[in-house]
Amino acid sequence: MTSRVMRDFDLLLPESVAEVLDLLATHKNKAAILAGGTDLLVALKFNYSVDNVISLALVPGLNGLSFDPVQGLTIGAKVTIADILKSKVVKEHYPALWQAAKVFATPQLRNTATVLGNILRASPAGDCSLALYACGGSLTLKSKRGSRQVNLDDFWISYGLTARRDDELAMALQVPAPVRGQKSAFRRMTRTKEDLSKINAAVSLQMEGDVCMSARVAMGCVGPTLLRLPKIEKMMKGSAVTDGLLQKISDQVAAEISPIDDKRSSAEYRNKVAGVLVKRVIALALNGKGNDQ
Amino acid sequence: MKKHAITLTVNGEDRDLVVSSNRTLLDALRDDLGFTDTKYGCGTGECGACTVLVDGTTAINGCLTLAATMNGKSITTAAGLARSGNLHPVQQAFIDNDAIQCGFCTPGMVLKTISLLDENPKPTEAEIRHGLEGNICRCTGYTKIVEAVQDASRRMSGAGE
Repeated sequence: MTSRVMRDFDLLLPESVAEVLDLLATHKNKAAILAGGTDLLVALKFNYSVDNVISLALVPGLNGLSFDPVQGLTIGAKVTIADILKSKVVKEHYPALWQAAKVFATPQLRNTATVLGNILRASPAGDCSLALYACGGSLTLKSKRGSRQVNLDDFWISYGLTARRDDELAMALQVPAPVRGQKSAFRRMTRTKEDLSKINAAVSLQMEGDVCMSARVAMGCVGPTLLRLPKIEKMMKGSAVTDGLLQKISDQVAAEISPIDDKRSSAEYRNKVAGVLVKRVIALALNGKGNDQ
Repeated sequence: MKKHAITLTVNGEDRDLVVSSNRTLLDALRDDLGFTDTKYGCGTGECGACTVLVDGTTAINGCLTLAATMNGKSITTAAGLARSGNLHPVQQAFIDNDAIQCGFCTPGMVLKTISLLDENPKPTEAEIRHGLEGNICRCTGYTKIVEAVQDASRRMSGAGE
């Protein structure tokens, strides 16, 4: 294939959120929303077709990236991966997200791809979406019928499928403010540096001294959606994070995941390295060491 | 399919054109406006041959951008870099360091280098390699390209540039 031409569609360029919601109410599943376009346009060049593409290019008020010590981090629909990388607040308070943004795709794609787009893509190999899964958060979905919040824990239903309804626009993601002793990290493995992850992991830990009070542990590329590892989280909760515990965790991870063979890796390899990756991402969260990416 | 009347400022000059909804910025630049210095490589945002600069030095993939969403934007392609007959220092550094073989990736490489040096005028080798991750070269093995970027960094931070 030497020249990829997108199928026909009408590009709609609304100038307000209200207009977007009107268009979504009219076209429902006959419309796709275009923010950065780095996933949508590729899909349109291959196997996907849709009658209407609703661009957010001219819609104001969706660019906000703000932090409040009580409310936490708010990421608007048009915030790009490059915006995340430039944010000192993200780097300081949400290192997992910043580390995922650092290795996300390529500089050109980071300049256009949006954080919310990465979540809405519902890929089991997402990097920023995985980091945010570990941090926790909830999406604000708005339609003409009203507005609702959906927790990320309930958002991904299966491969490419989310809880977003056809007439809803994802306005923003709210990530809770870090509590005292909160640590987080992201790590991934790829074939070449700019490739999609063959396996990735992110953790968010609430520490009191050496003891982990609560943990969120998430992995990608090991199931139809991004996965949390509840048994690992339970093993960590209330325990001192010792070398012995890390080894027990590492040995348990393969039993918690269900990777497949695909073009980026094999199930066997993923099962072998998953435990090591989780051990290393915990170490990175706790002491900042091992970030060789 | 809907048509859109847009104005792009390409290399400093306003260009009016009518594009269909599914026209990419790359198609508009190459086929409608004749800026064939911007290359079509993979069409999926992986190779960086279609890199252009938007509103200053923000590098994006022309192949993954719809032209109709770029109305009113200022676009720089490699053809717009020379000033009064003198090549841009990054272009000259690529020539002087033999960082070009077949030349297909060069317009994208040069533009991405300008974007990189604007953000980080004195990058380390690791920062250069990270910054050029979205530009694939199948000839050089990258060593000479990295050297050209280092040379351009010296030239542009030196006096008189």
